[in-house]
Amino acid sequence: MEPSAFSLSGVVKEFPGVRALDHASLNVRPGEVHGLVGENGAGKSTVIKVLAGVYQPEAGEIIVGGTRLEPATPKTVHAAGVRFIHQELHLVPHFTVTESVFMGQEVGGRLGLAKRQMRQRAETFLRENLGLDISGNRLIRDLGTAERKLVQIARALIDGAAKVVVFDEPTAPLASEEVDTVMRAIARLKEQGIAILYVSHYLSEITDICDRVTVFRQGETVGVFDAITDASAADLIFAMVGREISDMFPAKRHRKTSLGLAVTGLSDADKFTDVSLNVGGGEILGIAGLIGSGREELVDTLYGLRRTKSGSVFFDGTSLRIATAAQAVRQGVALVPRDRRHDGLVLPMTVTENATLATLQDTARVGLIDRKAAKSATEDQIKALDIRPPNADNVTRLLSGGNQQKVVLARWLSTNARLFIFDEPTVGVDVGAKAEIYQLIEDLAAKGAAVIVSSSDPVELQGVCDRIIVMMRGRNVGTLPATGLSIDTLVAATTGAAKVEDLANAG
Amino acid sequence: MQADVRGGPRLSEIVGFLPLVIFVGVLVYISLNAPNFVTVRNLELVLMQSLPVVLVCVGLAAVVMAGGDDVVSGGIDLSIPATAVLSAGITAQMLSLDYSLLSCALAALLACLVVGVINALLVTRVGMTPLLTTLAMFVAVVGVNNVITSSRRINVDHPWIIALRGTEIGSIPLGIILVAAIVIIGYFAMHHTRWGLNLQAAGGSKDAAEISGIGVNLLISHSFVVAALTGYVCGFFLLARGSGSSPGVQDNLMLEMVLATFLGAAFSPRRVVTMWGAVLGAVLVAAISIGFKSMGVNVFWTGLIKGSLIVVVVAFSAISQRVR
Amino acid sequence: MSSSATRQNHLVQIFLRFGFLIVFAVFFVLFAVWNPVFLQGGNLLNIVEGSAILLIMALGLTLIVATGGIDLSIGIALDFGAAFAVVAMSSYGLDWFSAACAGIIGGSLVGLFNALLVVGLRISPFLATLSTFFIGSSVQRIFTNGGGPISYRRMPEEFRNLALGDVLGVPTEAVIATVLALIYFLVLERSIWGRQIHAIGMQRSAAIVAGIRVNRILILCFVCAAMTCAVGGLIAAANIRMFTPLSGFSYLLDAIAAVFIGAALHPRGRPNVLGTVAGVLFLGMIANGLNLMGLNFNTKDALQGIILVSALALAVAQRRARSS
Repeated sequence: MEPSAFSLSGVVKEFPGVRALDHASLNVRPGEVHGLVGENGAGKSTVIKVLAGVYQPEAGEIIVGGTRLEPATPKTVHAAGVRFIHQELHLVPHFTVTESVFMGQEVGGRLGLAKRQMRQRAETFLRENLGLDISGNRLIRDLGTAERKLVQIARALIDGAAKVVVFDEPTAPLASEEVDTVMRAIARLKEQGIAILYVSHYLSEITDICDRVTVFRQGETVGVFDAITDASAADLIFAMVGREISDMFPAKRHRKTSLGLAVTGLSDADKFTDVSLNVGGGEILGIAGLIGSGREELVDTLYGLRRTKSGSVFFDGTSLRIATAAQAVRQGVALVPRDRRHDGLVLPMTVTENATLATLQDTARVGLIDRKAAKSATEDQIKALDIRPPNADNVTRLLSGGNQQKVVLARWLSTNARLFIFDEPTVGVDVGAKAEIYQLIEDLAAKGAAVIVSSSDPVELQGVCDRIIVMMRGRNVGTLPATGLSIDTLVAATTGAAKVEDLANAG
Repeated sequence: MQADVRGGPRLSEIVGFLPLVIFVGVLVYISLNAPNFVTVRNLELVLMQSLPVVLVCVGLAAVVMAGGDDVVSGGIDLSIPATAVLSAGITAQMLSLDYSLLSCALAALLACLVVGVINALLVTRVGMTPLLTTLAMFVAVVGVNNVITSSRRINVDHPWIIALRGTEIGSIPLGIILVAAIVIIGYFAMHHTRWGLNLQAAGGSKDAAEISGIGVNLLISHSFVVAALTGYVCGFFLLARGSGSSPGVQDNLMLEMVLATFLGAAFSPRRVVTMWGAVLGAVLVAAISIGFKSMGVNVFWTGLIKGSLIVVVVAFSAISQRVR
Repeated sequence: MSSSATRQNHLVQIFLRFGFLIVFAVFFVLFAVWNPVFLQGGNLLNIVEGSAILLIMALGLTLIVATGGIDLSIGIALDFGAAFAVVAMSSYGLDWFSAACAGIIGGSLVGLFNALLVVGLRISPFLATLSTFFIGSSVQRIFTNGGGPISYRRMPEEFRNLALGDVLGVPTEAVIATVLALIYFLVLERSIWGRQIHAIGMQRSAAIVAGIRVNRILILCFVCAAMTCAVGGLIAAANIRMFTPLSGFSYLLDAIAAVFIGAALHPRGRPNVLGTVAGVLFLGMIANGLNLMGLNFNTKDALQGIILVSALALAVAQRRARSS
């Protein structure tokens, strides 16, 4: 048997209608950094919750340090030395570094707390184990995101009992220059013999830091790769998306039919400057860019959710006024937002109520809603978009991610929107619904709408769009044609590993 | 990049200090126009006047720190003044029936603890929002107190209670010493014990606290009991200040308590409700009330001034959040 | 799990699901048995008539709570409505209809001020309307020189009829309240505007993304709610031929209770007009029933307070049981 810091084997976890984990297995050796990759919905977050003892699996076993955890509960897992660095920081903004590191595990002194001792221990730990030299008296809200991440890591490890540390997307909120800080800290932990499970979407990080990588697809373990190099990253992607990669995307039949959107020299107050882009009616434009590149802010600004500082926005030759979202909507702009549970849907409302929220006046008489008409219109949409379960009176909170996304889309399809902006359209959407959403995007463009797709998923951008602009540090650094574009090239451009103009010339 | 990061908070700090500046400005204005305002005698009066409010503010600060400072969904306890009046009412009524002070105090303590526990259960078990719970409890407790006292004034002349007002220890009034001691104990418990830090963590970020293994609901329950206890102690100071229990004190006390506590948040460097901030707020509000009185300003105007002050301070606080 | 435990669990579930109706029925039967007068047509009409002003206030509050806010200043809007109408007649000699319009405009000022604080300065509704309450109370004290009522003996008959008249035998105030309830029902539960208000209240960010003009709707809601409460003020003034300062406050807690009881009765826990009506009638029935029991004023008050807390707790528990 191979040496193991912890392992999962044959784990099955089912939710109503979905088998999230189907005999998944995972084995992490002591002192290694082990990557876990897979598409959204592949079961990564489920396996983390099973390991944390939050979900009880239907079958399978969890072994930590040679002992089987039976059952695995948050308490037994913690006692076995497994620590989790969650994607969210979970810090109190007005606490000091020391208070945050020792939150819930304060050290008492003779009178009250041993404040000085705690501060010294926190500072020493941060300096020696994570390479961060910082005063324990600083407030969390005055720290940068990478520093906060390290404080979060220190909180998990300060008791010195950690044997296994699970990092869930540790770099997601970080700007590219901050990523190195966290990477160096992880390397130091590895030197101390701690086993690390590293879950991330960013394949470049995986290839940089991991000794081995496990790939999940649709709840199954489909491969374990050794000593990953840049060259084998392609194999990794192939394992992640499987054979369906080409079937996933519809054939591009749309054609540019009108002038569409023309943005010149757009700047907001602080996150991006001088961005220009065009997307014609019947075209699909992709926006690539890491978190912190200004991509999200650009999308929000185009929809009137953020203030514009300078620049002009025209649609079919007439100026668009987008000071508020309400204005944008009335001028035919539609947004499918990235955080659909927060911004896309009013979750406690029914499918009908959500789908008709922007078009209430169409079926109304003297301001009163014609509930029958609204419902039958929604039922038509449910049929057209294949929303399941097909019940217009369902509360949207209970729908799956893909179906929620379709309800958001249904709302905009019944308006006469001319510009559709999709922000991370398939986050948290299962593979089947993903393909359907791509088809719907293609159909919109084929009918002559101008479409923008902003995404952190390079495969998606390449598969759906005609052209892709790359945002980096608040600027549009260039445009890449999607035809013939390799995923590696796109990733290289997005991460700044290669200059876009060189790539565009070469391609 | 670095310069931006440092520049942001600095601007917001300037905006954030405006509430305190406005307050100090008003006080300076008063002291220029009312020559007798800045005297030891008068400052002592201000402090004595503010004692009941200071006490309930300590309790409210604990609840807000444990529940978070979103007024509608976070922690708030509007029932503390009612608890204080109940404590005063029970004690006064029992004293007038010739019970010993000790038994009065114990009975009042029991009653106040019941109020605190009911608040805690309704919030943590039933899941009512603190605002709704404590508003309703305010009504119920005042109603019960009116039954106990038959809605009439009851004079109290027990020497121990009058001592809270009259006796001085080394020229400092006993009441001030006691309240100062309570505030210091409260501060120590809140900032120098594990319990206090966990309480603050619960209010600062519920998720973060739960992930760190902190029992959030238990701490919220504790905070309501602490609040009831401060109301209990406040009752005796109400008796001392008014030489007895009189109906109707609770309304004004509630408004001053909320005003002082949220003013305090606007004063504090971390821009959150704190014990020191609440206490400072209570003293400043009392100073302004007495100051305008000694300037000869019609008493009806003080409510208007206090209301406007909340608006100004809270608006600045909101603006400084946005600047950040 | 043993079967008796399951059965017990089952009973708890039933109680939680229909609890409020059961409580309603129990009290109804209790009062009817205690004093047969309770069931007489005249008395039931009394309940309805006596609840008219509370219903009007609660309707206004339902609108604000539906937007996800709270309005502690509805009483001030009532006071302003009464004050403007009475002063318009007594000092400016306006006819009854112009005076009523003046009252409603006076109330709308309160709503505008709230809207300015909440939408303009982005102060949380709780603190904003609390400030409005402070300021509005103070303004009334200043205006009336300390809170004395302004009476107007020669009030026109038509204006008095707002409270004392009848339409085909039904008291006018009940008719006004019913008509308002009907309008509110259509607006809040059936109109585009109502749908948008609910969307804002449930998830404001999603409402913004859906293109709803959130700020404009919030302003309109605050103004409409205040105007509605001012109508309550007209009735109150007509009833006693005078404006009594600070009389609106007494409706606040009952109105809040009615709205939240109503929300708990809704299958999805939304504030809604029918629920509010039910909540108001429940409170009216309790007040009337306790009166008929011949309890003394203080005891009645205390019991009402305790029933209020219990009813709210039950309502919230019931809503949670439903949503789980």
